[in-house]
Amino acid sequence: MRTLRVIPTVLKQIKRSPIRSSLTLGGIAIAMFLFVMVESMRSGVQEATEMTAGETTLVVYRENRYCPFSSRLPQYYEDRIKQIDGVASVVPIQIHVSNCGASLDVVTFRGVPRDSIQHAIAKDGVIVEGSISDWKKRGDSAIVGSALAKRRGIKVGDLFSAAGIDVFVAGIQETSQAQDKNAAIVQLPFLQEAARKGGTGTIVTQFNVQVENHNNLELVASSIDETFAHDEHPTSTFPEKAFVGRAARDIVQLAEVAGMLAWGALAAVFALVANAVVLAMRDRVRDHAVLQTLGYTGWLIGWMVLLEGAIIALIGGLLGGLAAFLTVQFGQFNMTMEGVNIEMATGPSAAIMGVVLALGLGMFAALIPALRLARTDIATCFRAV
Amino acid sequence: MTLIECKHLTKHYRRGAEQITPLKNLDLKIDRGEFVALMGPSGSGKTTLLNLIAGIDRPSEGELIIDDAPIHTLGRNSLAQWRADHIGYIFQLYNLIPVLTAYENIELPLLLHNLSRKERHRKVARALDVVGISDRYDHYPRQLSGGQEQRVAIARAIVTEPTILLADEPTGDLDRETGTAIMNLLQQLQKEQGQTIVMVTHDPRTTEWANTLLHLEKGQLIEQVAS
Repeated sequence: MRTLRVIPTVLKQIKRSPIRSSLTLGGIAIAMFLFVMVESMRSGVQEATEMTAGETTLVVYRENRYCPFSSRLPQYYEDRIKQIDGVASVVPIQIHVSNCGASLDVVTFRGVPRDSIQHAIAKDGVIVEGSISDWKKRGDSAIVGSALAKRRGIKVGDLFSAAGIDVFVAGIQETSQAQDKNAAIVQLPFLQEAARKGGTGTIVTQFNVQVENHNNLELVASSIDETFAHDEHPTSTFPEKAFVGRAARDIVQLAEVAGMLAWGALAAVFALVANAVVLAMRDRVRDHAVLQTLGYTGWLIGWMVLLEGAIIALIGGLLGGLAAFLTVQFGQFNMTMEGVNIEMATGPSAAIMGVVLALGLGMFAALIPALRLARTDIATCFRAV
Repeated sequence: MTLIECKHLTKHYRRGAEQITPLKNLDLKIDRGEFVALMGPSGSGKTTLLNLIAGIDRPSEGELIIDDAPIHTLGRNSLAQWRADHIGYIFQLYNLIPVLTAYENIELPLLLHNLSRKERHRKVARALDVVGISDRYDHYPRQLSGGQEQRVAIARAIVTEPTILLADEPTGDLDRETGTAIMNLLQQLQKEQGQTIVMVTHDPRTTEWANTLLHLEKGQLIEQVAS
């Protein structure tokens, strides 16, 4: 197959034009790095805020409050919520964060009653180091999410301090849930006392409610809010992901704006490949005429041009995609706002999508020059020399 | 035995409003194994005739039959295939691909044929040996002298063992001594391998090597001399 036999020649043309190739590859790699980083952020936001079928968790928050410092609900609401039809379990949670605004490194403490710890662990959560029994033994102990532990270099047995609260690390929880892998679960009375919110130990930030049937999620949420509508502390109840989307609305908007950056990165890839191919074609008019004289058809030369664009874009896309993937993997970035965590997606899908898009754009950018070349007759090529 | 036959061969093209006819109603026969020199002043139609024989350009009128194949009837892709199978072309300015080594330049036409890497290697090595630059196989064109570049170009032209070797002023850019060496090489190919060669030249010394001189003027054959 002629189309395969010319591949080494195309590779040599790329390799032996090092300045042009490396500048183009570098540009594409940077653009794809940006694209994959933005896509990882957008995927993380989407994953954290888009409701999925079968969701059964509600978050009960103080009405018209957006920050854990201002959401204060009496702990005795727990019993009243439990009595509402469709509620399976209720966990009162005190949230204490080191920073209420949007930040890349916020430590979130969740205070839960000692006996409700099993409900506070994520559904897919596994204690990979330490144990729950160790957590129960000490009042100041904490189960730390794996991402937080990795980010802060925390190990079981360490004393860990943040936001003025000192805790003993009794376990590390491994989970796929962003809210859990970036939080430290501590005992509720300890957190209430340490954070000095209410002082008496009767105030919590929110209640996490499990419903019996996911079809009744909205109905149970309405029932909870109606129950406390005329109370001293009215509530706003949301499905967990809707709550995250509401709390982290600035991050969600930021992700939408960042989407434009991703389009810009793709446009840059297209422009870089098109520019490289057009410049290469201009430089090689004589070479193409010679190849045609040797018996290469216009289509075969067009194929070589298309291949060159595709290979440059593929290598650039791979470099940028891999760099972004490794950065996200090892960086463990998560954006926290008002106590909710949104993690940048660490899976390979954004990087794979980036590489595929770079390849497609590279081929598309080279297509028109390749078609023009394929249709140019040999005498025209020679006249252009 | 006739290899190339031109019957009423005419070529014209437009330059703006003007119609140019570089070749007019040409009748010509060239035998297999001949070494033909096409001579004549600039604009006499030498290069046009060479390009028509090479299948680079197509005649406007008339017939061009090479090795019993009616070249004037072939489409663009068939003509490219025909060139790959039958033509070796040597340019005045060598026209080697600058990013490829001598070996890789010579290998280029072989990529169009169904040959294994080993077979390609054997043919390239032989062509390098014939033109006497085996020791320069890994040099890039910029690392070679003009004479060496032209030898690589000749090796590239003969590597497929073409039916006809065409040369467009192959010594035009070389000094006298190097030019003589190149002409000797072409003559050696004709005498030892029976290669048919058609060469455009302005050099009157060409009679020392070619068997036939064709003199063109204003697109017509004025004189045909066997030397």
